[in-house]
This record gives sequence, C-alpha cells and structure tokens, in this order.
Amino acid sequence: MSVPTTEKSPKKARFTFTWDTSILLLLLTVCVLASLTTDNFLSSINISQIFSNSSEILIIGFALTFLIITGEIDLSVASMLALSSSLLGWSYANGAPIWLAILIALAVGTLCGFFNGFLVTKIGLGSLAVTIGTLALYRGIANGILGTNTVNEFPEFWTSFGFDTFGTTFIPQTLPVIILMGIGFALLLHNTPFGRRTLAIGLSPEAARFAGINVVRHKIIVFTFTGFMSGVAGVVYTFRFSTAQADNGVGLELLVISACLLGGVSIFGGIGTMWGVVAGVLLASSVESWLTLREINAQWRTIVTGLLLLISVAAPVLVGKYKAKAGKI
Amino acid sequence: MATIFKSRQISRETSLGIILIFSVGLTGLINPRFLTGDGTRDLLTSTATVALLAIGIAPIIIMRHIDLSIASTVGLSAWVIADFCAKNPGFTWVQCFIIGGIIGILVGALNGLLVAGLRLPSLVVTLGTLYIVRGAVYVVSNSVDYNAQEMPPSLLSLGQKVFFSVLPFPFLLVIIATIITAWYMKFTKPGRDCYAIGSNPNAADLVGLKVFRRTFLAFVFSGFMAGIGGVFYLMRFAQVDSTAFYGQELAVVAACVIGGVTILGGSGTVVGALIGALLVQTIQGGLAALGVDAFWKSAINGFLLIVAIFADRRLAARSERALLSQRIRERE
Amino acid sequence: MQGVDKRFGGAIALKGADLSIRAGEIHALLGENGAGKSTMLKILAGVHVNDDGKIRLGQNDFITGSPQASINQGIAVIYQEPSLFLDLSLAENVFIGRQPKKGIAIDWDFAEQEAARLFNELGVQLDPKRPARGLSIADQQVVEIAKALSMNANIILMDEPTAALSASEVERLMTVMRSLRSANKAVIFVSHRLDEVFAISDHITVMRDGATVSESKTSTTDLQRVIREMVGRELTELYPKNEHPIGDVVLEVQALTNPAYFRNISFKVRAGEIVALAGLVGSGRSEVARAIFGVDQYETGTVKIKNINLKKGSPVDAMAKRIALVPEDRRQQGLFMAAGVNRNISMESFDQLKGKVFLNFKKERALTDIWRDKLSIKFVNQSDPVDRLSGGNQQKTVLAKWLATDPDFLIVDEPTRGIDVGTKSEVHRLIDKAAGEGKAILMISSELPEVLGMADRIIVMREGHQVAEFSRKEATQEKIIEAATTGKKGWSLGNHI
Repeated sequence: MSVPTTEKSPKKARFTFTWDTSILLLLLTVCVLASLTTDNFLSSINISQIFSNSSEILIIGFALTFLIITGEIDLSVASMLALSSSLLGWSYANGAPIWLAILIALAVGTLCGFFNGFLVTKIGLGSLAVTIGTLALYRGIANGILGTNTVNEFPEFWTSFGFDTFGTTFIPQTLPVIILMGIGFALLLHNTPFGRRTLAIGLSPEAARFAGINVVRHKIIVFTFTGFMSGVAGVVYTFRFSTAQADNGVGLELLVISACLLGGVSIFGGIGTMWGVVAGVLLASSVESWLTLREINAQWRTIVTGLLLLISVAAPVLVGKYKAKAGKI
Repeated sequence: MATIFKSRQISRETSLGIILIFSVGLTGLINPRFLTGDGTRDLLTSTATVALLAIGIAPIIIMRHIDLSIASTVGLSAWVIADFCAKNPGFTWVQCFIIGGIIGILVGALNGLLVAGLRLPSLVVTLGTLYIVRGAVYVVSNSVDYNAQEMPPSLLSLGQKVFFSVLPFPFLLVIIATIITAWYMKFTKPGRDCYAIGSNPNAADLVGLKVFRRTFLAFVFSGFMAGIGGVFYLMRFAQVDSTAFYGQELAVVAACVIGGVTILGGSGTVVGALIGALLVQTIQGGLAALGVDAFWKSAINGFLLIVAIFADRRLAARSERALLSQRIRERE
Repeated sequence: MQGVDKRFGGAIALKGADLSIRAGEIHALLGENGAGKSTMLKILAGVHVNDDGKIRLGQNDFITGSPQASINQGIAVIYQEPSLFLDLSLAENVFIGRQPKKGIAIDWDFAEQEAARLFNELGVQLDPKRPARGLSIADQQVVEIAKALSMNANIILMDEPTAALSASEVERLMTVMRSLRSANKAVIFVSHRLDEVFAISDHITVMRDGATVSESKTSTTDLQRVIREMVGRELTELYPKNEHPIGDVVLEVQALTNPAYFRNISFKVRAGEIVALAGLVGSGRSEVARAIFGVDQYETGTVKIKNINLKKGSPVDAMAKRIALVPEDRRQQGLFMAAGVNRNISMESFDQLKGKVFLNFKKERALTDIWRDKLSIKFVNQSDPVDRLSGGNQQKTVLAKWLATDPDFLIVDEPTRGIDVGTKSEVHRLIDKAAGEGKAILMISSELPEVLGMADRIIVMREGHQVAEFSRKEATQEKIIEAATTGKKGWSLGNHI
C-alpha cells in the first residue's frame, strides 16, 4: 500500500497505514460477499456499471481530496455539476456546436470554482458557510436557466462514449481515462512539491506561510480546479444519461465527501491518500450495486452511505481508544 | 472606552431589526398586501418552521458545531406522526407533539453521543445522520402518502388558529421558545457554558466545564426542535410524503448566520436567529412580489447567506481593529 | 509567616524531587528542559499524579490527581499561553464556570463589580465589560490572575509567565506578583530568564534530571552558581564567538517603513557578520524581519540582497535570492508539528530532492541524516512527528531546514527562546559557524547576554524606530537598555531584589 504522506502519533501513523489497507480489505470483503449472495455481481455488465456509476464521484473526488487536505471544504460541487450540465444543454439546444457547448460547460465550472476560492481566500470567509451559499446560488442559477426543462438530444458520438465498452469486454471506455487520471493525481499528491505544499497548508497554514508557500494562491488553484473537475463531471453526467437538467446530481456532494472521508482523508486537513479515496468510492458504489442486485429498496443505499460515513470517522477513534487501553495493560 | 463591547453587541441585533423593518417596508411598497394583517399572518406562518429550527440549531452553532440532520428529522417526524394518526383515528394534537418530540430527541441523542462522546466532527456526523434519517424515511414510508383526511382535526384547527388576527399559533410557540431559550442562554450557567465552549473548546475543558453534557444536550435540543418542526409541517400543509422538508437544512443555517450567529462559534443570540429567519422570508416575499421566478429562490438564499457572512466578517474585523487600537492607546 | 508547606518525594519523571514553599513568598523553580519543573507544577495542578513521596499542604496531605481537587485546595495555574474565552467579557472570564447568581439567574452586575474590584486590587486598569478579544497577552495574564484570586487561590503557579512580555509588561507583572506576596499568597514560577528570577524571587529551587539540586535564598546565591547547578558543569564558554573575516555587504535595507510597526529602518549586513537587532518585545524587530523576508508587507523603502532589489511581500522571491528566516514561534510558524522530522527538514529543499518532476524519497532520507549529524538533532525515527522532540531539538530542526537551503543571508528570530542552557550554546555555536562560512546573519534577541555575546554589531530599536548602533567593543548592557527604553533604567540586569 502506498506510504502515508504524513503521520500524526505513531499510533495514528500505524493506523493511517492500516486504514488504507482496511478500506481495501473492506472493499474486497464486500465484493466477495456480494458475488456469493447474488448471481450477477461479478458479471462484466455489473462491474462496468459500478465503474460507470462511480465516474462523476471519482472525477470530482480527485480534486476535492486536495481541497479537503488543505483544510477547506466545498459543498457546491454538485451544483457546479448541475450548472455546467445545464449550460451544456442550453447552449447546444440553442445552436452552439457541441465542442463549444462542452467548452462553455467547463469554463463555467472553472469560473464557479474560482469564485468559491476567491470568496474564501481573498475575502476570508469560512469555506463551509460560503459553499453552503454557493451550493444554493449555483443550482439556483441552473434552475433559472433551464427551469424544469431538460435537454435530451445530444450527438451520438459523445453519448455512446460515455456509455459503451470496448468491444465485447466489460471494460467501459471511460475506464482507462479514469485510471490514468487516478494515477496522475496520486502522483501529484504524494510525489510532487505541489502535493507536499498542499499537505503542509493543511497541517499548519501559518507555518506554510513562513515556509514561503503562497497559501492564498495555492488554495485558489485548488478551488478553481475543483470547479473545473465538477464541470468535467457535469459533462460526463450529461452524456452518460443523455440529459441536461437543473436537478442533475442533487445530493452528489455528500456522496463525494463521504467517499473521501471513507477513504481516509481527514476532515481537519493534512492527511489523506488518493488510493484511499478511490477505494472509498468503489466501496460505496459496490455496496449500492449489491443492494440493487438483491432488489433491496434503493433507498437503503442512503442509509448505508450514512452508516459508512459514521464508521469512517468513528472507527479510527474507537480503535485508538482500544489500542490505548491495550497498551496500558 | 467601556462601551465598545456593549455597542457592538447592541448594534448587531438592533441593526438586524432595523434591516428587517426596512425590508418589510420595502416589500410593502412593492406589494401593499404584505403590510396588511393577512400579509403579516402569511409571513409568520411561512417562517414558523424555519424559525423554530433556527432557534434549535443556534446553541449548536454557538458551540462551534453544526447539525445538518435537522431537515431530515422534520421529514421523519412529520411522516411518522401522520402514520400514527392515520392508524389511530382518535389521536389528539397533544399526542402528536409528544411523538414529534420523542423522535426528535432520539435523533438528537444519536448525534450527541457521536459528537460529544466520541469527539467526532459534527459536520461529518450530522452528514451521516442526515443520510440515515433521510433513507429511513424513504424505507419506512414505502412511498405511502398521507393527507388531510388522516390528520386529527384538532391538530389542523390548531394550525389554523390565529391570535389578534395576525399571530398564528405556531409562531406564538416560536416566540415562547425564543424567550425561554434566550433567557436560558444569557442567564444560566449551562447557557453561558455553551458560549465558552464555542469560544475556546480547549480552555473549556481545562476550566472544568461539562463539555460532554452541554454538547450532548445541545444536540438533543436541536433534534427536539426538529421533531416539533415535524408537527408544524403537518399543521401547515396537512399532508406529507417521503420528501417532506427535503433540503431545507441550509435555509436554517443561513437564517442563523444572517442573524449573527457566526459559524466560528462563541457569539450570536437566539433572538438574532429569529430575526434572521424573518429577514430571509421577507426578502423572498419581496422578490416574489417583484415577479422574480420561484426558481431563483434557492439562488437568492445562497446569495443572502454569502452577503451575511461577508457582513459578519467585516463587522468582526472592524471591532477587532477597534479593540486593538484601544489597547495601543491604553499602552501609551 | 505562617507556613504553607509542601514537600515532594519522587515519581518516574522525578526522582526524589523536593520543593518547599512558604506563604507570602515568590519562589522560582529553575532547571534545564526536562529537569522536571513542569512535571512538578503539573502534579500540583492535578494534571499528573506522583508515584511516590509525600506532598503536604499545611498540616494536611495534599490531594492529587484532579484539577478540580487542586482548585479546591487553593491552587491556581497560569500557563504560558493564557487561554481566555475571547468572545466572552472579562468579568465572565474571571467567573467562568462559577457565575454568581441571584436566584436562578446569573447576577451580571455583581460579577462586573467584583471583577473591577479585583483588577483594581492588582493595580491594573481593565474594563470588565469588554470582550477578551484583542487583549494583549500581558493583560490576559492579569485576568487569569484575577480569576485565581476570585477562586481564593493561595498558591499561584506560573509557567514561564514573562516569555512573551515587553519590559513594561514584565514590570507590571512583577508589581502584581509583589501584591500577591503582600496578600500572603505564595507564587511559584518557572522561568528561563535568570535576570528576572534574581530581580523578583525570594527563594530559588534548582532541579536537574528529575531531582532537586539546591534550594537557596535568592540573596545568598548568584547567577554563576545557579547556572552551574542547573547544568552540572562549568559553562565557561556560554557564547562561543569567533572572529570571522567580514566580507561585502549582503543585505541592505533602506528607509523601510510600515507605519503600523516600524519606520525608516536602514542598515547593512555583511558576509561573515552577525548583526543583532536588540530592543524590547514589541519594538518592531520581528516585523522588520518578516517584512524583509516577505511574509509581511511594508509600505516604502527598499531591500537589496547583493545589490539586487528584493520584491515586496514575496517569500518566494526571498528564498530564490538565498534568504532564510528562522521565525520567532517555532511551533506555529517554524514547524509542521504533526509532520515527521524528515518532512520538516526537506520542506524548503524540493529542488534538491526532485528529478524532473517527482520527489525522490531516498534523497530525502539522506538529507535528513546529513542534517541530523551536522546539528546533533536527537530523534528516534525520521518519520517521528516533531511534536515529540524537545524544544531544543525542534529549534535545531527549524535551523536544519533553513541551513539546508544554503542561504547567503540568514535571519534568526529569538533563536534560543525556551531552550535549556546546554542546547542554547549548541545553537550559538551553529550560528557562529554559519557566520564563519560567510553567511550574513541578522539575529533578533531579547536576551542581552546573548546579544552581547554573539554580535559584531548591535542595532537597537525602540517603538518601531531605529535608535542606536553599537559595535561589539563599545556595547554594554546599560547602553543597550538605555537606548531601548528611552533612557529610563526600569529594567536592568544588575539589580537584585
């Protein structure tokens, strides 16, 4: 497993290391259980579905991980997705060529992300409250643009790219792209000065300042990038479902944040690994798939996501306490 | 010299009150019906639930925590009460309130145990319970809806009752709750402890304040209010499905922040939260009267929140500078 | 004087440590880092429990183990960083947790009146209604002391109370301590500032390696003897200074001004030279340093490094031009406490560590080893969080981080604050060595012996202005203090009790 990027106490250090492995183990366990209790879990179609359904969450999660590590949060990611999606649909429906519509969608996402970053850093407002506000603001704008309309007509090339697989295998065409992105971001976080600086800011913004890190600029970059990736996710979502509407992705922000936290990223900043996040996302999607295949009410998924989230924060604390008690004996 | 503190404190709530009066007046200009008895009654009715929740969540925010699960709790409470009523036709409104309260307390206790007991971050915990409760509503309700026929008539008539032809019963409850809670926060030790815990959690521990107890009870209180909010919901809409009150948690937080309860903790008052809730509703009413599409409603909410935070920060920076320069003067 | 008597035995961090305090006395507790002073205080405060030995309070046994019990027995602790509730009023802070009541409601009027009375008694002007936010550390300490008094504390423990105070604030604190003494309270304080210890205390207890080495009346002992007792050996070479060849001007500051903190600062530092920036806390020295490095802004003036203009407010530019700043507060500004020693040391040296794009972990390990040896930094694993290192080793880590960048100009801000005597001289030797390698060094220090011992030139600042400059030969303590305090001799090393 990858070496953790930072360590707190040795107890926690050992646990952070084990947390990544635990998540992987949990993922494997779920897969095994699921394949045993259902007929189709390991089928190519299903695995393809799992990856597809994870697309947007992974895409946004890659960027949001950096953001949470710097100690900030962005609850508006799903709204940025919706706004990008809406603008994609709206521009295309109003005659723009598809490539332009896509660019507009990406630009909007980037702009929104930048606006978030601007408010948080230059004006100095807390990211939780601010992004609660922009969450409403961006989706509201999306509502204002599209209302209850949806745009469903899109060029076949794009919609099938999102949907199809390679030949007869179960590998979705989007998978290699996502894997490459994952590797790229993991390297960025763990092996580059940029990643180190991100972690440093999360550990101590003041010490980061004195270490010559331009904290404001760094955070704005991370916020803007999160917006960009939300835009990408918006485009992917639109093509996957052939639908652009203002309601796209409602509630997605919680899924992404949950996956990141599940993957071992600390809400306090300074700690996290990209592999953990990927495992977290896949875990959540696998559980959903399992439930769907067993024809359990889809809404159980929300309950399970909530439970997983609680476990992801409670487990380290409980294990730490157990270890402390065991140590004393 | 001494009055800077007092004046900042006064100016926050008073200035909010002034802004509220101003907004009411402005909206009244655009839509004269707004200023009539009917208009006021409508305003108070539509604000009641959010206001109640804002009062419930204010102590939590003051303690530097947050509770995102309140809206889901309202939905759960509303549906379960309706379910009971449908299955037991002799239900009275008193029993409705009791059930709502119990449900709210249970959810609040769960939050409280996790946040206060295990010291987990409240954002994450209440995010989790938000999910769990929301999912629970869907699963338990199984897409069954209830409407006015199943509600106890005593409850519905209570919801319609209006005093002095402007004050709806639910809002009367809100006012009573505000008075009691505000007094508690200002004049009792547990209330003051909440401010201390929010201002400096570490020091609160060191000084021996009962942090666990206060935090736990604060979440129970917030849950309780949300449970009662479920009753309010039924009184107002006389129907419920599994998506009741979906997504309103942010409106509540916005009302608090606008009302001067800073996200950073340690300051703000329950009265401010109430004024904040009224303000948000008034502005929405005003914009609706201007013919602004209902679709823009959430955008406006978001915008208001950002403006509120901005103003809040400016005020804080200004008073900090004033205090600092006072200190420099004292030094000389 | 009635005896308020306490005697300790031993514990694991302490072995046979004794301490005797009488009512109405100011008692200093001295010792190097790790000698056990903090542990003693914490046992009294109820945070730790001693495993062995006896503690008696007056005629009775002292109950240990809980902060509440200690409070009930009349113990109050003032920590180095006072932690008040910034959003609450001063009166409320004084009465936190014990607000006076009228019936079931809190009686705010009474609280405010009582607080005002206590502030008066301590000889301080503070408004009980104002929030604690914006209060200086010195004022916050006074509020804490008022709180202690309102709890009927008889023994007040202070852990390094003067570490962050200006001279006038130290004076005021000493006045407060004297008034506590006249009220027959006992004050135990831990300090590394030996001059202040000799100025105010009645008794001194010296600890070393967990045991008590000596206890004497302050009037019957002296600085040299106390240092010897703390260190266990003669420290003849406190300040290992060598003469170095002084080269060209490396740093030139001209008319640097930031109206809030300093005005019209101009000076030069040459290669191989150690220039000390002396003055009282609050005179603006750290602000000047931060402005030079770019962490803070300045309004007018220029900073030139090797005759090239330095960009305002850009630490990146400063670092690119080989400037380094070892900041004042190593915990908040100099280190990432939760990160490992290796990550901290390599923080500024990414260029050395990376290939084209990616970092090389092996090189990082090697780098850490090199500096561990060069500076004798003590730790177990490279990945140990620096939180667990002693203050002295932490400071060395910060130094290592910056020395690894091989700067031409190095600023050290209070390099030996809160460090034990042994490590202090190590740090001084390192600074001297850096000068010997041709670096230009600007040293900010509030400890006059350090300034006089290490500097080639001393620049004195007062209230944001540059007021004097002395060469090594002509400088004396008196001259520096006089320049730093408008000629008033309020704070002098030479006066005892």
